[in-house]
Amino acid sequence: MKLEIQNISKRYSKNKYGLKDFSLTIEKGILGLLGPNGAGKSTLLKMIATVSKPSNGLLILNKNNIVKDTNYMRKQLGFLPQDFGVYPNLNAYEFLEYMAAMKGIGGSNLKPRITQLLEGLNLIDVAKKPIGTYSGGMKQRVGIAQALLNNPKIIIFDEPTVGLDPEERVRFRNLISDLANDCIVILSSHIVSDIDSIADQVAILKNGSLITNGNPEEIIQQVQNKVFEIVITKEELSSFKNTQIVVSITRKQGKFNVRFISESPMKNTIQQQANLEDAYLYLTKIN
Amino acid sequence: MKSLFSIIKSDYLQRTRSYDFLVTLCVTLAIAYTFVPEPNANYSTIRIGNYIGNYNSAWFGYVTAIMTSIFLSLVGFYLINSSIKTDIETKVGQIVAATSISNFKYLFSKVLSNFLVLVTIVSVVFAMSIVLFFLYNDGANFELLQFIKPYLLITIPAMFCIAVLAVIFEMFIGKYSVLQNVVFFFLFLSLMVFSPKNENQFSLDIFGSKIVMHHLEKTVKEITNSDKKQNLTIGYTVGGVEKSKEFEFNGINFSTSFILSRFLWILLGILCIGIISPLFHRFNTKERLSIKKHKVQIEAPSVLKEIQVLNLPIAKKNYSLFPLLKTELLLLFRKGKKWLWILNIIGMVLLAFLPLKTAHQIVLPVLWFLQISRLSDLVIKEMINKVHYFAFSSYKPIRRLLFSQVLSGIILLLLLALPLLIRFVITFQLLEVLSIILGSVFIVLLATSLGILSKRKKLFEVLFFMIAYANINRIAFLDYFGGFSPELLYVLKLSSLIVFLILSVFLTRNYQLKSN
Repeated sequence: MKLEIQNISKRYSKNKYGLKDFSLTIEKGILGLLGPNGAGKSTLLKMIATVSKPSNGLLILNKNNIVKDTNYMRKQLGFLPQDFGVYPNLNAYEFLEYMAAMKGIGGSNLKPRITQLLEGLNLIDVAKKPIGTYSGGMKQRVGIAQALLNNPKIIIFDEPTVGLDPEERVRFRNLISDLANDCIVILSSHIVSDIDSIADQVAILKNGSLITNGNPEEIIQQVQNKVFEIVITKEELSSFKNTQIVVSITRKQGKFNVRFISESPMKNTIQQQANLEDAYLYLTKIN
Repeated sequence: MKSLFSIIKSDYLQRTRSYDFLVTLCVTLAIAYTFVPEPNANYSTIRIGNYIGNYNSAWFGYVTAIMTSIFLSLVGFYLINSSIKTDIETKVGQIVAATSISNFKYLFSKVLSNFLVLVTIVSVVFAMSIVLFFLYNDGANFELLQFIKPYLLITIPAMFCIAVLAVIFEMFIGKYSVLQNVVFFFLFLSLMVFSPKNENQFSLDIFGSKIVMHHLEKTVKEITNSDKKQNLTIGYTVGGVEKSKEFEFNGINFSTSFILSRFLWILLGILCIGIISPLFHRFNTKERLSIKKHKVQIEAPSVLKEIQVLNLPIAKKNYSLFPLLKTELLLLFRKGKKWLWILNIIGMVLLAFLPLKTAHQIVLPVLWFLQISRLSDLVIKEMINKVHYFAFSSYKPIRRLLFSQVLSGIILLLLLALPLLIRFVITFQLLEVLSIILGSVFIVLLATSLGILSKRKKLFEVLFFMIAYANINRIAFLDYFGGFSPELLYVLKLSSLIVFLILSVFLTRNYQLKSN
């Protein structure tokens, strides 16, 4: 299983790009996509999912050009878009049967697969009720179920944890880890913690370009020995924020404990162990 | 005042910057082009007995103004009757509700932006009428006032009243779009039927067209020296043009009371908005809905089971269309209010027992028209419900999904027409059977192509409405179900139109999928 993204671009107008000259190779495992709003994550995912066509470049899955042969990808794709909807008049069973028909799957195993997916996603008790009555998190789980209907070999999750409560997020992370043994999982999120614990490979995007790519340890290495903490007053805080890359601020007995990234230590600072969030903020700020 | 202007401006811009507004303008332009027929054309739009007016400024100005007043009063309502609904759907309404804007100010801003949208369309027709004058006139002088006067005193006030009516309808029966359409349709018909008995009663005519018709008839009566009532026809009449004579029409000197009545209609509209504004729901609709229907958002129980994805049974490949078709039909049947199915059943009973001609010519087009909301989003419901990412990345989306959507629409229409079809089969009227089948295919493909083209429901809804109106008025030109002329030539014409629609549907959807 190998997906090669070769110099793809998505151009909306003469000088406006959603993605520019982007290249990456993905093999079995989990790829985490990180980037601020408008970085091009959803654009990239939609192109891989064959919903959108690149203006330039190639997308090669196991030596097949999926820009031209879209059905090769679609047969083995599970896709959960960021902003998806459902037909409110159908119940979860009917909706999943419909999605299965769209994907071209059926047979005697379909019903038990749907039932087990609904059980696993904690939706079985409400499966016969119209989806229009579901909460946001439940709709999100129906979306996850439809992505897994066809035993996909490539699974794309765009912001999958939106609307899920903390417990469901943990369960979802476990689910993805299971899936990754057998296929390619591409996961985009704003929440760095959703990615750093499970991703085998991380790609950080900004303004439609790839800033960095590698395994989480390699990326964290880029800010190793650059993360510090300092306790400062309210008066010092605003000028400090203007001069340093601040990762987080916590209140502490009337003062502020500030975690920040700096090339060299300052007076009264304590060096900290770097994590993926530090690296993400550092790389998106300096690029 | 400044804030009201800002609201109207942004609402107007939001609506006119849409792609479907552009399509609507193009369609209006094409229709306006036919308002005054080309001198050698084999149809007329306004005819008084055997008489048609000379192609001078007054004829162009008045004919296009009253045609616009009638046409846009009918169609315009459907274009603008969802401004509050849009605010509900986009959730902008909830933000509006939390601001200090008064109900009256909000509703009045909706009236004014509705009005501006209609005026924009009127302006296009107005410009087209001048273009037509220069294209077709035979040496007549151009008199700008003969164009401005009828538009200002007939069309514009009528448009304001329609803008008010659209807001009133939305406020009270906005949730029931079919009911809204049907009620307005009958209101429109009754207003059209209203016939003033004397000069003063012309003031009561909301569309302002009756006074022009009266003067046209009077002019012809004077020419013919006859006291007999002249047969005035408004609408597209094919044929008989070569036999018609010409008469000189030089416009109307409107009485002060008529001019005043136009302002009074506008004032009455504003007053109505003022009276109903305390009753405005202010976007507290969901709460009311949930109380009424006990449709409370549910939460799944929190007994958690771990999912074993790799141990799940694997579904086989199955490219059968049947499951898709089944769900598409399910979606069609479940759409809309349940009580509407009572109307459908009544329609089917009427098809089974009324005389064949009445059933075919009247009941069938009305029954099919009642499916307007089902058909209008047949192929765009995935966009409306944001399911298009799944649909567009499905396996062979045109050959499988689109085909089953179209097929389900045809099945629905044929199912409704079944009693009539059976009766025609029993009496061996096979051309009629074929006509009805082709008619169902045509209307579904029209919905499909316009839906894909405009990405909205409105364009098809407006056109279907016009077609239904023409069907009820027995205008044979728009008979798509063979009710008036089930001949072989008709079948051939409709078949070629269907082939054209199939091609356009395939090409536009293909382009849509590729251009994402």
